[in-house]
Amino acid sequence: MLPDELVLTTLNSQFPCRELQIRQLLSLFSPFLPSPPTLVVHGLDATGKSSIVKAVLEENSISHAIVNSRECITGRHLLERTLVACLDVVEASSEEKLDRKPYARCENISALSTHLQRLFEGREKFTLVFDGIDKQREAPPTLLTALARFGESIPNFSIVMIITVPHPSALHQTGIPHVHFPPYTRDESITILSRNPPPIFLELSDPELEYTDDLAAEDNAWVWGRFLAAVWDSLAKGAARDLVSYRVVCTKLWRPFVAPIVDGTFGTRDFSRLMVHRRTIFQGEDALLSRIVPKSTTVASAASTHDLPCYSKYLLCAAYLASFNPARQDNVYFMKASDKKRRRRKNNTGWTAKNRKISRHLLMPSPFSLDRLLGILRAILPHDLAQTADIYTQIATLSSIRLLVRTGAVGADVLDPGCKWRVNYGFEYVSKLGRSVDFEIGEYLAGGGE
Amino acid sequence: MEDKKCYLYAPPRPQPGRAPKRRRLVNTGQPTTWELREHAFHEAWAQQEHQIQGAIDDADRSTLEKIAAFVSGVVPGPRRDRPPIPTGLVITGPSIASHGPFFRRVSDKIIADTKSIFVPLNSAECPNLKTLLKTLIRKATSGLPIDEDDDELPPSGAHKTGSKPLDYDLCLLLDWYSKTPVDKITIAIQDSEGFDDSIIVETIELLSSWSDRLPFVLLFGIATSADRFQDRLTGSAILSLEGEQFVVEQAEESLEKIFRATVEGPHVSLRVGPNLCRLLLDRHSDHSQSTQDFYDSLKYAYLCHFYANPMSVFLNRSLEFDQINHSAFEALRTLPSFRNYVEALLEDGSTDEIHSLLDSDQFLFANIKQHLELGQTALSRLTSAIAVVVILRNAMWKTQQVRYSSLYIRSASGDLYGSPLTRETILMVRKASSDTFSHVLATLASLRHSGLPMDIKEYQQALADLTEHSTTSAPLKSHYDVQSNTLRTTLVAQKVDLSKHKSTLSKQDAAYSDLIGRFHDELEAYLTEALIDPHSLYLSEILLYDLKSPHNEVFAPKPRFAMERALSSPHDYLNCSCCAESKAEGEHQLSASQPPSTILYQLYLESGAMLNVNDLWLAFNAITGGEDNQSEDVTTSLFQRSLAEFKYFGLVKPSRKKVDHVSKMMWKGL
Repeated sequence: MLPDELVLTTLNSQFPCRELQIRQLLSLFSPFLPSPPTLVVHGLDATGKSSIVKAVLEENSISHAIVNSRECITGRHLLERTLVACLDVVEASSEEKLDRKPYARCENISALSTHLQRLFEGREKFTLVFDGIDKQREAPPTLLTALARFGESIPNFSIVMIITVPHPSALHQTGIPHVHFPPYTRDESITILSRNPPPIFLELSDPELEYTDDLAAEDNAWVWGRFLAAVWDSLAKGAARDLVSYRVVCTKLWRPFVAPIVDGTFGTRDFSRLMVHRRTIFQGEDALLSRIVPKSTTVASAASTHDLPCYSKYLLCAAYLASFNPARQDNVYFMKASDKKRRRRKNNTGWTAKNRKISRHLLMPSPFSLDRLLGILRAILPHDLAQTADIYTQIATLSSIRLLVRTGAVGADVLDPGCKWRVNYGFEYVSKLGRSVDFEIGEYLAGGGE
Repeated sequence: MEDKKCYLYAPPRPQPGRAPKRRRLVNTGQPTTWELREHAFHEAWAQQEHQIQGAIDDADRSTLEKIAAFVSGVVPGPRRDRPPIPTGLVITGPSIASHGPFFRRVSDKIIADTKSIFVPLNSAECPNLKTLLKTLIRKATSGLPIDEDDDELPPSGAHKTGSKPLDYDLCLLLDWYSKTPVDKITIAIQDSEGFDDSIIVETIELLSSWSDRLPFVLLFGIATSADRFQDRLTGSAILSLEGEQFVVEQAEESLEKIFRATVEGPHVSLRVGPNLCRLLLDRHSDHSQSTQDFYDSLKYAYLCHFYANPMSVFLNRSLEFDQINHSAFEALRTLPSFRNYVEALLEDGSTDEIHSLLDSDQFLFANIKQHLELGQTALSRLTSAIAVVVILRNAMWKTQQVRYSSLYIRSASGDLYGSPLTRETILMVRKASSDTFSHVLATLASLRHSGLPMDIKEYQQALADLTEHSTTSAPLKSHYDVQSNTLRTTLVAQKVDLSKHKSTLSKQDAAYSDLIGRFHDELEAYLTEALIDPHSLYLSEILLYDLKSPHNEVFAPKPRFAMERALSSPHDYLNCSCCAESKAEGEHQLSASQPPSTILYQLYLESGAMLNVNDLWLAFNAITGGEDNQSEDVTTSLFQRSLAEFKYFGLVKPSRKKVDHVSKMMWKGL
């Protein structure tokens, strides 16, 4: 058994900037002293809660089981997995084959409590860790309060709950110790990330240049440290404050940043000139927008996007108009008899401006009926359209790719006339579509679409 | 009988001694050719299907190979550090009907090429996260893509824990994974738009938390665009995905390939005519944009031709004379193209041949056989000539590309030859410089069914010789090119004299001009000969199918129009004598003799968005009702029944605004 101080140093070197929390946890979970029956560990994302709790328990050789709520689909799933995890740990530590027959089912919390009482009767200290228990899907309402009382009925048993934000009365119990993991500050984030500098040169050049690995490592650390500070001050301070997204932003910007060093424009120690030269990457927000496909490849393939059929485009335009034009103005905008003058008249009266302050197309799209959509479609089409079933097929297709959405009571029939529809796209999308069929949607849109 | 849902029908046994009653078939002799025609259809269609399948595979091949390379390029095995899940965004385009077959091909390709299993998921079978996981586990562990009956899970996991894990627990998948040689699990979400946003996000988060034990690869089928897909995800979900984007070839491009495969080549026995072609292609671009739809339409055209046209029996390649009877030949002699042919023969004065054509079936049969062959050759020459024009045109005009299909439509209706487009193209050939010319030659040489009479190899050889001896690096110019002419003005005795001067052409240029001039002449002769009007061919009724109306009826039905017409003018359907008079008057068609629902419908059409039911009743009563009380009861019941039918159709709905009104739900003509 390592002395406490030695354990502390190991953990500290493993998890920098978390000394206070490690000390608290070590003292609470000492192998020689009794532990509290319930402990709440809380803090925001990416503050090291789960890994530090796990490391402390492992270093102190306390037998423990960790249940991750993210992987549990229902409340019952959580209970089953908890029981199985406990059984596995007990079996591994005691080297005897457990008879699992009595533990076959675990439908609710009381069953879990009974099972655990039976399992841990006369056994050594055991800790059960619930990771992210506050995000559990379909959790029974009494889950947290019941778990908090497990320590009272089972001797030598403690429960650790790792949650994001503690609610003062969530556990219906007082005197539960809380360990808070505050978010890392600027200096702490930089310290942590600067421990593993990425290389500047991906492949080392000729050995005769006398640029050894040591020198390279030194340069990497030097540039990386300053680069981290620059990224924090310019971008991450405002938009990527937690450690994970900060690291993502830094790794994303690193290669473009050091490109001038790699191609030999600047030396490795010319940081200020490099900074001025590459200032554009700190000014743009591209690095903050995460995307699945890296940007360079999307640009290449953007040209070949798929086109909708011609009438589908008109349908989408008509649907947008039906969603954002008030129904009572339809005869102003769509009657064939009304001339241009009448169409414009509305703008001069101006009484609508008193009632409505917000522009219509910034509001939620309002639902419309299918017949209104078809009526508007016929009004905006430049030529006649036969009443074929093809139009209905297209409406069904558009609704299955969720450009049109059914609202209200949804029956089995897609084209039920009683059903209302809503559009699921914005003005930019529809105006681009309209232009591809020579239809200017702004002319028909109430308020002109500006 | 009413209480049974189904019953077995046992026909009465035929009594011995009496022949069973049977409808007498009119023995016209036609049914004897049905079998032959069916055989001809299967022969022709099998060939077409093969061509189409080849074209589809060809269109998808590069995308499929990219996806397979992506999946196999993923580092196998679970990783401790939980990197982002490798993800392929497959932009499949808005034609939903083709997604299923496409993902089936992806599945085959991935299973064949990589050590991965392929689990396709679609939104219909995954309404929530739990069902999604159940389906995922079931499909993955059963190893078969679709196995609906297999509800019982294999008892994996039970041996270890003593308790059976819940059937949505990914432990089952982990158990299964540890026992198989598979190195990754590819999950394809076919229609990502169909899933709720929350389900996709939760699935991604769950899979990424398991990715340290199970190696997942995700494929998302996206109908709209990758940006729209990413907008639906949360930031943390996007961070746990990383991958590539694959774009399936556009429907228009692949349709072009399929179309070309169906008309080109000497083995095509039946070709689709210009009107039908235009209909199919317009429908494709206006409405459906799915290749599957085109395939169906084409198959329907073949069916129509072979099953409804008795002449099509002659397309049967293994046809013998004694298999057909006399009436088929009689029918053939009435064809317009046969008459034209005979008249042409008459002008030539070969009366003997006409006599034998009209009198001898045997002679006619041989004649048909021969001319069908000739006709097919002519049509195949026509299609390859179109291909040549497309190549030339697209090589000369880099900006304005013409499509094979549009040229086919023009040429099949007979107006491509002598059209400005063809003339212009031929003239441009003469002006081409040597690098364009060599490019054109190379493309022509790679053409498959080219019936080109000239020897491309020889031209290539000659051109290579010329360019080799050329002293400058610039391409050789033809002297037909206007750019080599300069206009010179000279003042001679106060008169402006304009004179054209050819800039001096080198010896090679002159030789090149000769070469390209020769090519031009040969090309012109070839096109003149090949670009015929197919309708002027003898037996074109058999070689071409060009009827629009069956397709319009079958593929573009008008259900709403039919309903509205039946309700608003019932005479069109009933053809009764009582309504004929009012029809003849032409004015107001309402009369008591019409069915009550249609009377109500015509009243319904006259009203605005809200209908006062009492007014409706009064009007209805005025038309149909009699004087006495008893008839009013009948009228009331008819009125109520009609209104109930309207409600059932969804034409009216009770309104909350006014108690005695109903609101109108459907307008006519939409």
